Amino acid sequence: MIQTILDALSYGGLYGLAALGIGLVFGVMRLVNFAHGELIAIGAYLFIVTIDLGLPLSILIAVTGTAILALLMEFSVFKRLRLAGPAVLLIASFGVSVFLQRFYEIIFGALPLSGQIAPWMTGVMEFGDTTITRGSIVTIILALILLGGMWFFIEKTTLGLQIRAASSDFQTARLLGVRSNRVIGAAFVFSGVLAAAVAFVLVTQRGSVDPLFGVNITILALVGTVIGGLGSLQGAALGGFAVGATISLLNSFLGNYRVYTYTWLFILVIIVLLVRPGGLISNKAVKERV
Amino acid sequence: MTLLSVRDLQAGYGKVQVLFNGHIDVEPGELVGIVGPNGAGKSTFLGTLAGSVRASSGSIEFDGASIKGRNPEDIVRLGLAMVPEGRAIFTDLTVNENLRLGLTGRREKSGAQQAVDEVMDLFPVLTTHKNHQAGLLSGGQQQQLAIARALVSEPKLLLLDEPSLGLSPTVIQDVFGVLARIQERGTAIIVVEQRAHLVMSIAVRTLVMREGHIRATLSQSDAQDEAKLAAAYFGTGEDRE
Repeated sequence: MIQTILDALSYGGLYGLAALGIGLVFGVMRLVNFAHGELIAIGAYLFIVTIDLGLPLSILIAVTGTAILALLMEFSVFKRLRLAGPAVLLIASFGVSVFLQRFYEIIFGALPLSGQIAPWMTGVMEFGDTTITRGSIVTIILALILLGGMWFFIEKTTLGLQIRAASSDFQTARLLGVRSNRVIGAAFVFSGVLAAAVAFVLVTQRGSVDPLFGVNITILALVGTVIGGLGSLQGAALGGFAVGATISLLNSFLGNYRVYTYTWLFILVIIVLLVRPGGLISNKAVKERV
Repeated sequence: MTLLSVRDLQAGYGKVQVLFNGHIDVEPGELVGIVGPNGAGKSTFLGTLAGSVRASSGSIEFDGASIKGRNPEDIVRLGLAMVPEGRAIFTDLTVNENLRLGLTGRREKSGAQQAVDEVMDLFPVLTTHKNHQAGLLSGGQQQQLAIARALVSEPKLLLLDEPSLGLSPTVIQDVFGVLARIQERGTAIIVVEQRAHLVMSIAVRTLVMREGHIRATLSQSDAQDEAKLAAAYFGTGEDRE
């Protein structure tokens, strides 16, 4: 039972991080970035190819590399489309996603690339009759630190305040002097950092990465941002947590019927959206981006 | 030196032109009104000055520099601040956080606290509510917050778009009373309003807009001349420009 709860918290934290990364970019750009999955994938690739340099250096390279790729996406594609409609942005993010998948295939190959990132995370800890996986504990701690850090950044710093304002009403924020390039750039960088954190947990659990590595969690995290309330950063984290925890609990309780996990998940998603169409924390001022 | 000088300004949205040959001169410390019916192009005119609407041609000289085509975030740092129609305060943020955002547009980062204190003197009610969510304020208080937020950047020119919108007559009098005090501090003001009498009573001159054109320039004394005002506002007589 304790392991089930820890798994739910751990999955919830992981999906919360992924959803917050997507929610940050959506907040300031009104862009549903499907290519977030490829940020997670590059993070995982970088962990695997640099792990021989030692974990601290590998983390530094993976986080920096993922954040740089996120900024490159913004500068090379999305910045040029700021005046385009939401549909154009959506298709562009699909394009970036597919392009990067093929690019990873060329560079790293289509087959999974294996490697052990943090073997100590895969062990178990025993407390009397209770067995707990170390991975769950580490993921929960990592999620708490990162979500806490993001909360502090967003709530307590000037740049965080500007991101909140831009997420609410970008035109007015600009009239007050908020620099659009700065807040959008910051949102992409933090989105990349969060993607690298998700990559670390996933690649440690799976032990391998392939070009489609980040697709599944990105789709489910997107569902989380919608449930949480598009445009609300707290909503994104909460929605992502809810989706991750629900998947974990369904996997546990359905036992041999876990093949129906996603069926039940989406039934619950539809019910939540019918009851609260704007999401758990709706942003009433979801306005046009710049 | 003239603070703002605008000539032959054209602007619109996509292929639809909304503003034709916009022109205006504002001296330091002056209060100038712009009136006209719905759809006259008043807000587009202000938005073009503040940089939120792109001008297709014409010139905008502010404080000796051309600001046409510059970003809103640059223009506010030059000393031109705008209070948009509908107040546009951040309802999820506190009063204090809204004011902090206003400080973003300051040219000089020093003296920020003094600017906030001065604005709090002007709008004492905001001091009481400084830690409250802005969305919980009354309409009049929200309008005061929107003006205060623009003022903390210490602008040389303040643009106000329909400050009376949705306010009761008493609150409107309060808001317009504060405009005179802002003007006393040396800040020039352009007020866009549909209530012609209200703005003409405090403006040194008032431009009348219809269908995207400036059709007339009226003085304070013209406010008493209903026929002249109606002719300028509704176009029932000869245009004065």
